[in-house]
Amino acid sequence: MTAKLVPRRIFTTKSPTLKPLVNLLRLLCLTTAAMAAAADDGRYFQQEIGPLFQRHCMECHDRETHEGGLNLQDQITRGGDSGPVIVPGHADQSLLFELVSHAEMPPPESGQLDAAEIEKLQTWISAGAALPNGQTFPSVTADRIQALLLLRCAVCHGATRQEGGLDLRTTESILRGGKSGPAAVPGNPDESLLLQKIASGEMAPARRLVEVSIKPITDAETALLTDWIAAGMPAPVADRSRENSDSEYTATEQSFWAFQTPQQAPPPSVNTTARVQTPIDKFVLQRLEQVGLSLAEPAPPDVLVRRLYIDLTGLPPTWDQLQDVLQDPADDRISKLIDRLLESPHYGVRWGRYWLDAAGYADSEGAQNEDRVRPRMWRYRDYVIRSFNSDKPYDRFLQEQLAGDELAPWQDGVEIDAATADNLVATGFLRLTPDRTFANITAFVPDRLEVIADEMQVLGSAVMGLTVGCARCHNHKFDPISQADYYKLSAIFKDAFDEHDWLKSQGERTLAVVSTAERKQWEQQKQTLESRLAELQAQQQQADEETRKSLQQQIDAAKGAIPPEPQIRALWSRGRPSPTWVLLRGNYLTPGKRVQPDVPTIFAERYPLPQIAPPWQGAESTGRRLAFARWLTSDQHPLTARVMVNRIWMHHFGRGLVDTPANFGVTGSPPSHPLLLDWLAVEFVRSGWSIKSLHRLILNSAVWQQSSAVSQQSQELDPAGLLLSRAPLRRLDAESLRDSLLFVSGALSEQMYGPADPLDVRADGLVTVRATGDQWRRSIFAMMRRTQIPSLLETFDYPQMGPNCLQRSESTVAPQALQLLNGGEVHRLSARLAAVVLQDCQQSMPLTDDADLRKQRIIAVCRRCLSRQPGKQELHLFLQGLQELANQWRQTGETAERAEQLAFANLCHAILNSASFVMVE
Amino acid sequence: MLTTRRNWFQSLAGGISAAALLSHLEADADQPARQPLTTHPPAAKSMIHLFMNGGPSQMDLFDPKPELTRRHGQEHFEAIAGEVEFPDAAGALMRSPFQFAQHGESGMWVSELLPHFARHVDDVTMIRSLYTTNLTHEPALYKFHSGSEFTGRPSIGSWVTYGLGSENHNLPGYVVLDDPLGLPVNGVDNWQAGYLPASCQGTRFRATGAPLLNVSPDFEEPTTITRSERDLIGRLDRLHQQRFPGNDVLQARIQSYELAARMQLTATDALDLNQETAATLKMYGIGSEPTDSYGRRCLIARRLIERGVRFVQLFINSQIWDNHSDIGNALRSACDRTDQPSAALLTDLKQRGLLDDTLVVWGGEMGRLPISQMTSDRDPAKSGRDHNKNAMVAWMAGGGVRQGCLYGATDELGFAAVEDRVSIPDFHATLLHLLGIDHEQLYVERAGLREKLTGVGEARIISEILR
Repeated sequence: MTAKLVPRRIFTTKSPTLKPLVNLLRLLCLTTAAMAAAADDGRYFQQEIGPLFQRHCMECHDRETHEGGLNLQDQITRGGDSGPVIVPGHADQSLLFELVSHAEMPPPESGQLDAAEIEKLQTWISAGAALPNGQTFPSVTADRIQALLLLRCAVCHGATRQEGGLDLRTTESILRGGKSGPAAVPGNPDESLLLQKIASGEMAPARRLVEVSIKPITDAETALLTDWIAAGMPAPVADRSRENSDSEYTATEQSFWAFQTPQQAPPPSVNTTARVQTPIDKFVLQRLEQVGLSLAEPAPPDVLVRRLYIDLTGLPPTWDQLQDVLQDPADDRISKLIDRLLESPHYGVRWGRYWLDAAGYADSEGAQNEDRVRPRMWRYRDYVIRSFNSDKPYDRFLQEQLAGDELAPWQDGVEIDAATADNLVATGFLRLTPDRTFANITAFVPDRLEVIADEMQVLGSAVMGLTVGCARCHNHKFDPISQADYYKLSAIFKDAFDEHDWLKSQGERTLAVVSTAERKQWEQQKQTLESRLAELQAQQQQADEETRKSLQQQIDAAKGAIPPEPQIRALWSRGRPSPTWVLLRGNYLTPGKRVQPDVPTIFAERYPLPQIAPPWQGAESTGRRLAFARWLTSDQHPLTARVMVNRIWMHHFGRGLVDTPANFGVTGSPPSHPLLLDWLAVEFVRSGWSIKSLHRLILNSAVWQQSSAVSQQSQELDPAGLLLSRAPLRRLDAESLRDSLLFVSGALSEQMYGPADPLDVRADGLVTVRATGDQWRRSIFAMMRRTQIPSLLETFDYPQMGPNCLQRSESTVAPQALQLLNGGEVHRLSARLAAVVLQDCQQSMPLTDDADLRKQRIIAVCRRCLSRQPGKQELHLFLQGLQELANQWRQTGETAERAEQLAFANLCHAILNSASFVMVE
Repeated sequence: MLTTRRNWFQSLAGGISAAALLSHLEADADQPARQPLTTHPPAAKSMIHLFMNGGPSQMDLFDPKPELTRRHGQEHFEAIAGEVEFPDAAGALMRSPFQFAQHGESGMWVSELLPHFARHVDDVTMIRSLYTTNLTHEPALYKFHSGSEFTGRPSIGSWVTYGLGSENHNLPGYVVLDDPLGLPVNGVDNWQAGYLPASCQGTRFRATGAPLLNVSPDFEEPTTITRSERDLIGRLDRLHQQRFPGNDVLQARIQSYELAARMQLTATDALDLNQETAATLKMYGIGSEPTDSYGRRCLIARRLIERGVRFVQLFINSQIWDNHSDIGNALRSACDRTDQPSAALLTDLKQRGLLDDTLVVWGGEMGRLPISQMTSDRDPAKSGRDHNKNAMVAWMAGGGVRQGCLYGATDELGFAAVEDRVSIPDFHATLLHLLGIDHEQLYVERAGLREKLTGVGEARIISEILR
């Protein structure tokens, strides 16, 4: 039985927070009689606690049921899946008490404990939780203490620093001690230096806490530490069987569709065989035919070409590009166009952007007022664009992003080729979430855990299609993911993201590692500039007063021209991970059982994690993330291919086959076409995870190529288009809209890559992207700070990354109309558009009101902006509008020529505002 | 069975994107407003949030501490070391340099710095036991506005707008009146919509010039021309629409252009203070310093509420309440800028009968410590107070709130709330309750989680302060 050793300090009210005080009051409230009764040899348990468990808990936690791994009937000392449930003497550290006193257990519907019962429970635990028949709870062990010392002391006495020669991370190193001798004497708290220093307030030094982002040890924690030393500093009871073991899952849970390797069923036979262009069409037609529908007519070729251009590049075709296709007599002209567009550098700009959404890309840290810029994040953006353009296999793409630092050696001065450099840049994927830990005051353990939690959410939602984040504080309520699973997963990232051995988000967590070629180039450039600088300085020393001044200007300029050392924002293994504990209720102050890095149990048996091993001899890495990345990209993995295939489908059709792209679990939407999803997933893997092959498959289908015209039948039987009885009518997304506006008005720069384009913020809040010369680059290259999103993009649903975005909303609101109608940007662009259109149709100033010439101009602007000729009625509306506008301008005193010109600019402005421009059929 | 927004959309929309439908309905002024998501009759129809960025000092304004005066000069830092942002600068316990007196029938204590507010104590509920979870501005601001310490979550105004919409379809439901002198800490993030539709984001109105971004053309053009061009767009879009019968997005687009035109008139009218009497302007301190700027925003807030705006939020540039040093002068100056205008707002709302269904809330994101914070020369005359997450004060007035009510208490030094503690989620749940919304029922499904303003933890409606 554990003796309750109350350290002397607990009776002073030095507590920095109120919780210990409240607990102390609670303790004092217990009557002496109750304490005495509770501290007996187990009779109090037999009389009070056992019956209490019987009344309230046994339905779910007896020998048979043992939900959450907890068997209160005869294995209470063993605890549950999350760890021990009772810590003798410490009600506040006991999960069982915590859940019961917060009315979380028993579940509300099954009748909860009353105040008297809760008090009895507390009395029993506080007095030592005596059990009958010689059973005892394990006393506080080194496992709990290790977690405690890592949290409170290890920043100065741990992996990075050992102040006073002291390392407090293990029992051995505590006993070894530092310059002043052993830090603890087993069995003798009074003689233990560690407790003396804490009691005297010397440690941790209060005035320096913020410098190292540490909170002082609490009285309750000191009491735990005292207990442990008094008990002789016992090691944890070896119960490896509990590590990583979990509840067994039911057959239903195990057989859930998303947890099975996708199998390819043969495409079904259909009646409308004439429309079948690919196997995809059969799967879709079968569903349509079941309800008496078929596909809509094929889209007209000009509509299809525009749709293709926008879909694959985010820009409309030029009139010449359109004519090239239309005049090609070959049957496979559309297929050839698809191939051509997939080779366009604009493809990566368009499709890379979707990945940046899923990954949660931002050029700033967020979460601090200054919203500090991440000056090197663009390298990751460029990496993504290039990866899409080169059709990097998706399995490799993921491996680089999750474990790029473990794919090839890069430390110790080895030669770094472009591919290795890219591997490191790719790990920027894990550095995208808001991260305020660059400042001391916002780099405490909970701040760090939030970064990790956000990364876990990105990983879960973007890659795994699982809501793993739900299991951070408790077992997942719907999916078979336990809380231990969550921490097993986070342990995989521990040697890079270790909340007890942290690197600040800027400076410290930056690598000056780029390809040897780039580094050499930089060194040369720097050398040249530095020698030029030295020359100038030498000249200056010998020069007269006048020349000195002018030389100083040159010197300053030369200094400013020296480029900064090339660095990257990356994540890398540091090879010394702290252990990982389940954090009870997600609270970093209450570590539960220790877990090892692994994948969730539901997968572990059928899809085990490959052996974790250092990736090469002498590697600093543990190889955890590499093992995980290989697991995730195994051909058999039930989710990875499905999730990606669904994402690609979603961006082509506006809706995924699974309508909840981040959630393939029980509460997600079931797939609308399950066989098709699996067929595509298998094809995807079979093609070597080629994303471009997947595009070809989808884009060549009759389903994708059908018209978006709505027939009455389709409107009645498939009102929302879920069955794909027509192609969706979609609004241009934020970037496509802005880029298309720039493109048609001749203001789009072809220049790609490199540091982000700066923004201008007007006093009224208008945020615009700064031009390069008189042109703008594509929106993906604009600086995407969290607090300054270019207004045009924000209004059209550019998402806030919190921490990422799997599905943008497609809103239609008045501020969008205001932006396009009244905004200066669009107005200036329409004037430019008017000018280039006149060039197009070879008209020159001054314009006349000649009807044929007007018609020519209108046709030219429609071709340029809408990729088509105006319809008859439309042309009539345009002519009428032009006439009216020209008349009105003349009435304001403008000359006829000038009025004609202004009216035409208005007409261009109207076209940029029209549904025909903004919507894509 | 309560209809959640999501279900409601699904039942009605049959798959149309919720955001599109939302806008569709908002764009349609001729139709009755969509059903607000109230779960019970609301006590207040709208809310004005007077946000005091920086952390107003509770023990210098509303929570006098005789014990602090008695122990002035005693060392106390070690006892609260983990709760101090600048340990190096931490000084001894510091009494308030200001005098307190009791006011009104309720006998509420108010510092000499707030003479105008002091006349309204019998209108308000004062909560002395509010606390937050982070002692740094940015996380504390996010927490106060969105319930989470992190960026990317919808603010309370967005939630309210999402739940209740606007009463006036020619104005946004959620208007932000920020200070022309500059943005508050966290900038535009304070009124973000997070994962809610963009239409729920706070819209910034300016006190001078064009009232909101792009509401009028950013270029010179005769209005007849603008109108003709708009007509042309309308004709083109209706022609385009004929080819897609039953498409709600196209219909919504057309209506959004019509609304855009009406918004210009309504917004300009709402901000026209020339329509107010000289007495009213004077009461708000408009035309005199240092009250002019905040006075204008307070008066505009009333005009917006009158026109059916659901949620108006007032900000002040930078952090005038963040009195790390020279609290004797700095706090006085913050009060001088805001006291008269906020009191006038209460008076004005009351005399117009608007206070009964308008909820006015005053407060910052944190409180301050009972110990002093020293400047580098350690001159006590220049000392201030450091941040404190364990106790802060907020007051509420109007719709549904008890009058002359003092709620909760701090310890004898004012360091921490000890009696009837109110967490930020408790506070949010109470505000939503007053607006007729059950905080548990206002949620969106996202990545498997029901995302709520009050988060996943417990939140208690403070029933003791309800009328």
